[in-house]
Amino acid sequence: MIEASRLAKRFGTVHAVKDVSFKVAKGEVVGFLGPNGAGKTTTIRMVTGYLQPTEGEAFVNGQSVLDAPMETRRNIGYLPENNPLYEELRVREYFGFRAALKGVPRKMRRKRISEVAGMTETGDVLEKIIGSCSKGYRQRIGLADALLADPPLLILDEPTVGLDPAQIVRTRDLIKSLAAQHTVILSTHILPEVEAICSRALIIHHGALLYDGRVEDLGRNLSAGETLVCRVMGEPAAVEGCLSKIPGVERVEKLDETDGRSWFRLLVPKGDSVREAIFWSLAEARLPLLEMSTSRVSLEEAFLSLTTDEDEPKGGEKEVFA
Amino acid sequence: MKGTIAVARKELLSYFFAPMAYIVIAAFLLMNGFIFSVIMTALSQPGASMASPLGLFFGGSLFFWLFVIVTVPAITMKLGAEERKTGTMETLLTAPVSDFGVVAGKYLAAMGLYLACWVPTLLYVWVLTRFSQVDWGPVVGGYLGVLLLGAFFIAIGLFTSLAARNQLVAAITAFAILILLLCVSILGFMVTDPLWKGILEYVDLWSIVQNFSKGLVDSRSIVYLLSGTGLFLALSYEAIEAGRFSR
Repeated sequence: MIEASRLAKRFGTVHAVKDVSFKVAKGEVVGFLGPNGAGKTTTIRMVTGYLQPTEGEAFVNGQSVLDAPMETRRNIGYLPENNPLYEELRVREYFGFRAALKGVPRKMRRKRISEVAGMTETGDVLEKIIGSCSKGYRQRIGLADALLADPPLLILDEPTVGLDPAQIVRTRDLIKSLAAQHTVILSTHILPEVEAICSRALIIHHGALLYDGRVEDLGRNLSAGETLVCRVMGEPAAVEGCLSKIPGVERVEKLDETDGRSWFRLLVPKGDSVREAIFWSLAEARLPLLEMSTSRVSLEEAFLSLTTDEDEPKGGEKEVFA
Repeated sequence: MKGTIAVARKELLSYFFAPMAYIVIAAFLLMNGFIFSVIMTALSQPGASMASPLGLFFGGSLFFWLFVIVTVPAITMKLGAEERKTGTMETLLTAPVSDFGVVAGKYLAAMGLYLACWVPTLLYVWVLTRFSQVDWGPVVGGYLGVLLLGAFFIAIGLFTSLAARNQLVAAITAFAILILLLCVSILGFMVTDPLWKGILEYVDLWSIVQNFSKGLVDSRSIVYLLSGTGLFLALSYEAIEAGRFSR
C-alpha cells in the first residue's frame, strides 16, 4: 500500500530525515513513533507529497508520489499536524469545499458530509463557524475531512493532541473502528496510543528509523535477558549476598524493605534454570522466597532505551520502574 | 478544472465572510464616488474643457492609480500568505488538485472581487447617459483597460502572496512592484536614447491606460498586459513548487 524507499530530506544543512525505508501492507495499522522533532512529520509530508524528498522516493499503491501526484493523493486521507482549518468558514461549507476538491460527486456530497459528521460526532456543529469551535470539535473536523472521500489509506499526524481524556478514548475507538476497512498510519509520541491501536510500530529518532516490527516484540527484543522481581524474608544483606553468588545472576538491586521482607530486582538470562537455582540457594540459606515474578519491559522503557542517546543520562528510568 | 472551481468558490466565500471584501469595496466606492463627483463638478463649470468625464475617470487622473495600487494588494495579500501561516496550505496541496489549479482558482477569485469593486461604477455611466450624450469608445476602452490592468496587477499580488509567509510582507512587496512599474512612465521622459525610449514607451502603463480611456485600444498594449499576467501567474506556480522543497 505504502512504500518509502530510502527517503531523505535536508533543509539547508539540517538532515531532518536520513535514509528511511519501510513498507506498509494493505489493512495494517502502523504507529509512527518518535520524540518531538524526530522527523515523523517530515517523513509523512514526503509520503503525502507535500514535500519533495531530497533523496529517495515514496510509493502509494505502487505509484510514485512524484510521478502520479493526483492518483496517490486521491488514495490518502490526511490529517496534518496541528490540524489547520479555515477559521472563517462554517463547518458545512468547509466540508463542502473539501468534498468538491477531493472530487466527491456533487449529488453525493450532502449525504457523504452527514455520514462523516455522524462518524466523527460533528453533526451538531455543522452550521457553526470553525473559528468558534472547541479544540475537540476542531480535531474531529480535521478527522472528518480526512474521511470525506472515503480513501483506502489514512495518515493521521498526532490526531489526539489537545483532546480531553474522554475525547481521546472516543477518537481512539473511532480510529480502531476505521482500521477494519482502512490502512492507517498514526503518528504520535504517546506510547499507550500505539499499544491501544496499532499492530506494528515504526520508531524514528534523529531522522533515522530505529525499529520496525510488531508492538508486542518491542519490549522483548530489547535485551537477551529478563528482569525478575523477588520478595524474600530475612536480613536484606544476607539475601543480597546469597543472590549475587548465584551463577547467571548479572545484577542484584534492592528495591524496598519492610518488616524483614525485602524486594530485589535481578537481571538474569532467559529460561527456567536460573529461577530454580535462585529457589534452592535461598532455601539452603533458610531465607524463604515469598514471591518471584517476571517484570515485563514496558513500552516506555523500550522506547526510551531506543531513543535515548548513550551519552545522555537515561532519564525516566526510575519512573518507569516505580 | 473542478479543483479550480472549488478553490475559487472557497476563496470568494472567505472574502465575503470575512469583512475584507466589504471593506475593500466600500473604501473603493467611497474614493471613486468622491472623485467622480469632483470630475463632474469641475467639468460643469463654465469654460471647462470638453474632456470626456469617463476619460478622466479611467486613468485620466492620479486617483485612478491610487485606487488600483491600494486595492489590488489588499485583495491579494491573504491568498497565499495566510494559508502558509495557518498551515492550511498543507491540506490544500495534499488534496487531489494540481498546483496550477490552486493558482488559477485563487486568481479567479481575486479577479472576481476586483471586478466586483468596479461593477457599481456602471451606475456612473448610467447617470451620464441620463444627462448627456455618452461617447461609448472611452467607456468600453476604459473598462477594457481596467480589466487588463487588473489582470496584470492581481497576478503580481498573487505571486507576492504565494511567495511570502506574512500578509503584510506580501502586500508591501506587491505595492512596491506596482509603484516601480508606474515609475517606468517617469523614466520615459528622462531617457533620450531612442531605443530605450521606444522600450519604455511600450511598457508605460500610464499612457497605455490613458489611451484605453480615450477609446484608443492598441493591440501591442493588450499583448504587453496579457504577457505580464502570464509571467506572474507562472511565477506564482513556481512559488508553490518552491514551497515543496522547504519547510
